[in-house]
Amino acid sequence: MAVYKRTYKAYSGALTPAWSRFGVLARYGLKTLFNSRPFTAYAVLCLFPFLFGLLTIYVFHNTAALALVNLRPGQTPIIGNYWFMAFLGIEAWMSFLLTAWGAPGMISRDFANHSIQLYLSRPLSQVEYLLGKVSVLGILLSCTTWIPALILFVVQAQLQGNGWGWANLWLAGSIVVAALLGIALISLLSMALAVWVRWRIAATALMIGTFFLLPAFGGIFDLILRTHWGRLLNFSYVMMVIWSSLFRVPEQQRHIAQFDLIPLWSAWATVFVVCAICLWLLHRRLKAREVERG
Amino acid sequence: MPAVIELENLEVRLGQRTILDQLNGSLSGRCIGLLGPNGSGKSTLINTLLGFYRPANGRARIFGKEVQGNLRELRAQIGFMPESDAFIADMSGVRFVRYMAEISGLPANEAMERAHEAFFYVGLGEARYRKLGTYSLGMKQLAKLAQAIAHGPRLLLLDEPTNGLDPEARLRMLQLVREIRDTGQVNLLISSHLLRDVEECCDEVIILKEGRIAAICNLEEERKANLKFLELEVSQENGFLESVKSLGCECASFGGGRLKVVLSDNIELRQLYRLAAEHSVQIRRMNYRRDSLEDIFLKAMSSGTPPPPPPPPPGSSNGRL
Repeated sequence: MAVYKRTYKAYSGALTPAWSRFGVLARYGLKTLFNSRPFTAYAVLCLFPFLFGLLTIYVFHNTAALALVNLRPGQTPIIGNYWFMAFLGIEAWMSFLLTAWGAPGMISRDFANHSIQLYLSRPLSQVEYLLGKVSVLGILLSCTTWIPALILFVVQAQLQGNGWGWANLWLAGSIVVAALLGIALISLLSMALAVWVRWRIAATALMIGTFFLLPAFGGIFDLILRTHWGRLLNFSYVMMVIWSSLFRVPEQQRHIAQFDLIPLWSAWATVFVVCAICLWLLHRRLKAREVERG
Repeated sequence: MPAVIELENLEVRLGQRTILDQLNGSLSGRCIGLLGPNGSGKSTLINTLLGFYRPANGRARIFGKEVQGNLRELRAQIGFMPESDAFIADMSGVRFVRYMAEISGLPANEAMERAHEAFFYVGLGEARYRKLGTYSLGMKQLAKLAQAIAHGPRLLLLDEPTNGLDPEARLRMLQLVREIRDTGQVNLLISSHLLRDVEECCDEVIILKEGRIAAICNLEEERKANLKFLELEVSQENGFLESVKSLGCECASFGGGRLKVVLSDNIELRQLYRLAAEHSVQIRRMNYRRDSLEDIFLKAMSSGTPPPPPPPPPGSSNGRL
């Protein structure tokens, strides 16, 4: 099909491997997100806690720098499990807003003008479509959560020395697992809500409502029935309960922070049930054609 | 060479409704028209061929391969132009087509090159950097065609390609379809309720009525058969009728110089003119019988829904009206 000839010609060249096609969606998704300047600016802002953490670690291990802020070694907070959990918590909230901003548009724009049928009429399955879209969030949120946290861990291990890195190697595992759990929950929830309502603004509002209004309902439920089970509707709390276990926060500290109001198993079960519902919803609604039951 | 599309007792149900009921047939045309009134199951058949709907019974085959079970392989060979709007509004036309071509498996550079070529081919070369959301309806239809052909499919499924187009854009679309057909590199299935569009492009039609096949008709053969059937009006018969019969043609007179002649295979029109000259007969009017697609369609629609024919044995000819 040469431009100058303007005739149709079949394609007979090489094809990309079938397994890599979801990567096309991820690549275009990322490029589209970063075409928005406000989004790019906010994504850069999400790296500020990392830079602050890097500076903190450096200052805490530098006597001259400590002297500048009128501190002496031993007076600084310990950089350990609490510190990394707090860092990941801040990054998780910033990433949540990043997701609420970017994720609904990624799917709703495919539904707005029925282009979903064009994706699925090609050698691309429903699972691969979803994988492509989730990988956009996976890459984005990894860059703002566990990757900077692991860099900080390595820097801390390097500066601390004395086998700190080996002794706290479990912390690296906890960082990765905790962050991936949060990424999975936020990504699937945002995708499912976007597929469900198919309208970007409504999906963003629902996403924010899920994390801010649902806990309020849970609180009312707890007050009326004098129980703590309503906290299961507070996904950020549920996540902190799991994280406090992953980061080996002592019982006493968990009690003070009220992370022991619900059993750990119920927190894990909540995350799994929410993810399962999201996957079910995505499977049901992510179709090239709607079938009207009648 | 396997048939392009084969249907074997194909039944598709959506919810409690049976949309396609016991479809049987084999279609081998270069350009196949899918005809039927609204709600007859045309789009459902296309969606089933794309694997969007799973048959409740029976099977459909494309190029000899069963659709269910070979979805990925077949979809790589299919270009689909849906009836409804299908685009990403905030993407430029060329980026959208490139994106779709890449999903079909073309490497990024080739996809970019073919996206540009496809846009020039459909006549949107100058508008390829504009966002799709700003395109007119006709341009959107052409952009849909561009994304359907960019990856060089073997089978093009066009669902109502001329829907909503003004006469000029419609002619342009039909011209493109004919050009693509004439390259001989791709088979086309065109769903339409515009008989003229189908008649202009297709060499075979399948007509659906209430979810069942009302007719499968090879238009090429029909056209050839029509060329052998003549209606003549002559000044006087004057032995002309007998002479025509002596050539081996069937001939009947209806009085007033009106004749109907079925030409035998080895007879050419010039022989009739020669005979007329020999008998000093003026041929005042000569018409080929024109059993148009409209006639075929109306016949299919007026007849009761036929019982489903048994599945054709491999290699057999298609069902005829």
